[in-house]
Amino acid sequence: MSDRHTAIQEIVASHRTERGALLSILEAVQRSSDHNYLSKEELVLVAKELEVPLSTVYSVATFYAFFNLKAQGEHVITVCRGTACHTRGSKPLLTQVLKQLNLQLDEEGTATTDDVRFTVHTVACFGQCALAPVIAIDSVIHSRVTEQKLSQMLQSLLEGKEVS
Amino acid sequence: MDEQMISCTIDGKTITVERGTRILDACERAGIKIPTLCYLKDVSSHGSCGVCVVEVEGAKRLVRSCMHTVMPGMVIHTHNQRVLHARKLNLELVLANHPLLCTTCERNLNCELQALSQQLGVRTSRFPRTKKKFEEVDVTSASLIRDPNACILCNRCVEVCASMQSVSAIQMVGRGLKTKVATFYDQGLGNSVCTNCGQCSLVCPTAAITEKSQAQQVFDALADPSLVVLVQTAPAIRVGLGEAMGLGEGSLVTGQMVSSLRALGFDKVFDTQFTADLTIMEEAYELMHRLTHQGQLPMITSCSPGWIKFIETFYPEQVGHLSSCKSPQQMFGAIAKTFYAEQAHLDPRKIRVVSIMPCTAKKFEAGRSEMDSSFAYWKEKLNLSEVERFADVDWALTTRELAKMLKQVGIDFAGLEASDFDDPLGASTGGAVIFASSGGVMEAALRTAVEKLTGTVLQDVEFASLRERKGIREAALKIGESTVKVAVANTLSNARVLLDQIKAGTSPYTFIEVMTCPDGCLGGGGQPIPTNADIRAKRAESIYEEDRSKPIRKSHENPAIQDLYARFLDQPLSPMSHHLLHTTYTKRVVYPLD
Repeated sequence: MSDRHTAIQEIVASHRTERGALLSILEAVQRSSDHNYLSKEELVLVAKELEVPLSTVYSVATFYAFFNLKAQGEHVITVCRGTACHTRGSKPLLTQVLKQLNLQLDEEGTATTDDVRFTVHTVACFGQCALAPVIAIDSVIHSRVTEQKLSQMLQSLLEGKEVS
Repeated sequence: MDEQMISCTIDGKTITVERGTRILDACERAGIKIPTLCYLKDVSSHGSCGVCVVEVEGAKRLVRSCMHTVMPGMVIHTHNQRVLHARKLNLELVLANHPLLCTTCERNLNCELQALSQQLGVRTSRFPRTKKKFEEVDVTSASLIRDPNACILCNRCVEVCASMQSVSAIQMVGRGLKTKVATFYDQGLGNSVCTNCGQCSLVCPTAAITEKSQAQQVFDALADPSLVVLVQTAPAIRVGLGEAMGLGEGSLVTGQMVSSLRALGFDKVFDTQFTADLTIMEEAYELMHRLTHQGQLPMITSCSPGWIKFIETFYPEQVGHLSSCKSPQQMFGAIAKTFYAEQAHLDPRKIRVVSIMPCTAKKFEAGRSEMDSSFAYWKEKLNLSEVERFADVDWALTTRELAKMLKQVGIDFAGLEASDFDDPLGASTGGAVIFASSGGVMEAALRTAVEKLTGTVLQDVEFASLRERKGIREAALKIGESTVKVAVANTLSNARVLLDQIKAGTSPYTFIEVMTCPDGCLGGGGQPIPTNADIRAKRAESIYEEDRSKPIRKSHENPAIQDLYARFLDQPLSPMSHHLLHTTYTKRVVYPLD
């Protein structure tokens, strides 16, 4: 049995008796994963250990935006594409990020570099419209982002430095 | 006044109903039939479509009458302007993302969405399509096709798969506009725990789930003069086909069915009931052998292919309880391409066996790789190569597919004169007829086994407790000194109850019959749409009527079966029987890990 299987068994055991255990279990499994996502194999293991249908686990995992079914980059860059940010130029910013990281967004509006260092995705609105355009990097919101500022931040990340 | 009874006002009329009555049902009692789309009595109440809304005085919003029960003093308006407008609007919203390709659709003229649009007078859909992409059609299953584009997300299929069958191959996946019914990782039904029972296709209001039709292959074979095309009809077809051809619910149409198949061009019209009698012989002897040789008990029947895949998947450690007998469909194929081929001096390679089944899982069963005993039989005799491999049964059509073929050709079904099955694979007893109804295989097996075990003639051949309309039935029989308990389950969730007893070591039974579909094959996933509890009851009545009308009611007394043993098989459980009529099972997994 793999280490991951043992870890998932422990997570399932600790939540088994709770109501709505599946949600807590999936959350814990995702948090403890290497790239903040639920792999197909992990979903099968959760279903098996909790003795629920595979289709049920898949249904829950695809319903909540919180769950990722693909590996997430070490750094997650979230570009707001809400109306306020759009009018203040979020589209060129998005284009710039994608170009600099050589990425193309998929149908779901996300993209991850092959080396799993960066994930770029968009959101409809952060609710930070007064500070538009905003971009979140690893959950920290950066306001009134300009192309120059963005370029510097990406450069720092690429060089392995913290973003200030 | 009885506390269990409450009063309400519906369209100005005061009516009294039992507490807990759905608004929908109360309205029906008041003479108003509320239109519904996602709701299906006894199956699903999901409230997703909003077509059944009514106005309840004092309620802020319109109320979905399928979801709410009547409260004392409730004042309900079922068809004021607000209600009628809302129903139409909700239907138009459903239609916005529907393909609207009615003329070329599989369910044209038998579609609830289409009928409702007609009923509510919706002539245009004012709303633009909001779904961006067309979903891929799932063709991975041997039995069923799922087209998510036609799906209206009513949840009925999800509900029958989960509640009735305890399988849950499908679920609602994603959210918002991307919501769809899908299997795990959208791998397709053919790569899932789906048992191919087809109950989802029976409850689907549109053409989102349909059987994988093989009608064209059959038309092609019928048109090929070099082939001899044999057809076999399952017991449940004679009480289902009439409905699809415009006759009354449960009408018994054995003779017209035979004539219509002959008119379609089949060379011989045979009966699966012949091999149902054969199944009883093999199965009764297998049971007696297990009883006298400390075999694995309880023994469980193996006629229902959805059930077979279910136990192989969910209880693989218990497949030893299954009778090794093939189903009547497969026994027919094996006998037709060996014994009959020899009798009629036919080249087995030129024979095509077509089954008419009330079942979608029969397509999967016919395609199982081990179902080629007739090829194995001929392989050495005719020095056949592997590329010439043929299956025992070539195609299995549902009742619905046959009805479509008959309509396509233009056969006047109701006006046909009745005729008889061909010999020798057409003769059957009452024991074979009742295979169509849950409890029937058990009853037929007991008619033979009790007589053989006690050595005395069984006078009363009807077992009333096995005919009760319940999901699980049982009976206790006195055989000599000992009492033998038997049980019958229909639907897979009920089968699960009996399997869990076996697993826990508490099963009191010696012999168990399991049928995948509610009330047995007559409620099968390949039967005409609609099929519901009332219709199933009428089909069951016709089946028992046919049983009573048969001059011979015990399978072992079928002279054609006795002749088959005398000339070909020798005796039940003989080496030839084992070779042609018995099978083995595959252990499958619920949770596949690489």
